[in-house]
Amino acid sequence: MALVLMPAVATTYWMHIAIVVLLNITYTVALFSVLRMGYLSLGHAGFIALGAYTCVVLTVRLDISPWWGILGAGVMSGTVAWGLGAMTMRLRGIYFSLAIFAFGEIVVAFFRAFDWFGGPSGIANVPRPVFFGHALNNHFSFYWLVLCMSLFFMALLYRLQYTRYGATLLTLKTEASERLAQSVGIDAARLKTATFALSCAVVGTMGAVHAQYLMFINPQVFTFLTSTDLLIYAMVGGVSHFWGPVLGAGLLTLLGEQLFSAGYWKTLVYALVLMVVILSLPGGLVSLLDRVRDKWFSNLRN
Amino acid sequence: MTAILQIQNVSKQFDGLAALTDVSFEVQQGELLALVGPNGAGKSTLFNAIAGVFAPTKGQILLDGQDITGLPSHALARRGLARTFQMVNLFPELTALENVMQGFHRHMPTELLAGLLQTVSYRKSQSDWNTRAMDVLRILDLQSLASVQAQALPLGQAKLLTVAIAMATQPKLLLLDEPAAGLSHEESSRMMDLVSSRVKTHCTVVLVEHNMRLVGRYCDRAVVLQFGQKIFEGSPLDLVHDSRVVNAYLGTAGMGT
Repeated sequence: MALVLMPAVATTYWMHIAIVVLLNITYTVALFSVLRMGYLSLGHAGFIALGAYTCVVLTVRLDISPWWGILGAGVMSGTVAWGLGAMTMRLRGIYFSLAIFAFGEIVVAFFRAFDWFGGPSGIANVPRPVFFGHALNNHFSFYWLVLCMSLFFMALLYRLQYTRYGATLLTLKTEASERLAQSVGIDAARLKTATFALSCAVVGTMGAVHAQYLMFINPQVFTFLTSTDLLIYAMVGGVSHFWGPVLGAGLLTLLGEQLFSAGYWKTLVYALVLMVVILSLPGGLVSLLDRVRDKWFSNLRN
Repeated sequence: MTAILQIQNVSKQFDGLAALTDVSFEVQQGELLALVGPNGAGKSTLFNAIAGVFAPTKGQILLDGQDITGLPSHALARRGLARTFQMVNLFPELTALENVMQGFHRHMPTELLAGLLQTVSYRKSQSDWNTRAMDVLRILDLQSLASVQAQALPLGQAKLLTVAIAMATQPKLLLLDEPAAGLSHEESSRMMDLVSSRVKTHCTVVLVEHNMRLVGRYCDRAVVLQFGQKIFEGSPLDLVHDSRVVNAYLGTAGMGT
């Protein structure tokens, strides 16, 4: 409700914050589905960048409609993730993380290497979509696009958890339980690849919207630090529950945007928050809510 | 009697080391067969070859007349072969009931869209599967623990739950890897009681076991391996009288005893 009423009362600055928060929450929630299978992706920003660049190249260089740009971004990220996932998801632990990290670096290096893709300075004047004759050319109108897409993907990923498919993902968490899963007929390799591809398609799609929002893209927008930020959001929020990543991404993005002008403060504060949470609250912020709720219920009973 | 499992001239070599040499035997439908042998005899190698962990170097394995040699684990499950693991292997964060539900995987359609929309028919089918999972838990007397997280179960019940998960796949053949390992005297008797009286009525069972007491008391037939070769096949009651088996376990007189 607050999300819907927001454009009526908020300033442009707060609309900007809201857009960035929604984008980060969606990225983190998409990453969460990969984390749930026991895979720590250090290169999700690579797929955001891939989506963003795909959209920008399609719309700026090839003059295709921004809507198709968004769709193309999702398809591109999803397809590449399918191929990469098929190869790398056999790896567990740090080997997978490093392979995906390497991929993220390759994506950025690739687009930097070719002038047609903008080179080091990137591509500007990225067009935004036109919605039935309404150009989404200010923060307020663009907010609706981001809101609709974020809510759609969040609802999708949330509901997926409570399907049979979602429950099966939990069986792949460790090597041992994956062997058990296979022994009851679960095609672990296909399931992992499909989930990874879905996650990356979502971040790729949102990456396209992100690039349209910024109206430019360059190799510095989505780097390794973006990947680690997403992990920090998820870990601080807590990965035991869907709302953990939402909470973590929401709060830390709000905090980060306040610290934006201070430059390196953001990285420092994120790192400190992560360390404090990991040391004192290993289940993340959602575990705090669980604790409060348990206490409340036990008080209620007494 | 029809053979549910046929092991035909199966050999397995690891870097030139012969772990199994030309092993052949058949398992008949409805029987409870024990695979016995001292450590390093090749029991686990044979078990793993049947369960699709690796393919044999030579020979064929037939399940219900179909060649299953070298098929991956998940494909075997779809053809009706289930297994348990020597170490307790469960989905630790899921409840006992949810663990069994995962065992239904090959019978349960994904119905992704219906699941996303949580349609009435999806919820209905979900509650049907719940009922069926309870039925499976009941076979192993675990119904009272349905909502307990698997990681909280004591060893005896955790091991029974691994059997329940395998049973949920409705296998033709169930492979149990040392079902009694790590269990107390009472627990292992209870495990074998349930396997021989209840599990066996649902499917053919092949188990790897060290404990001769259990093999003699509960199994219909035994196959003994030593140095990768079959040295005995027959009734467990004859097993203790067979000189080769006795030698394999106790050592030959020539060793200075």
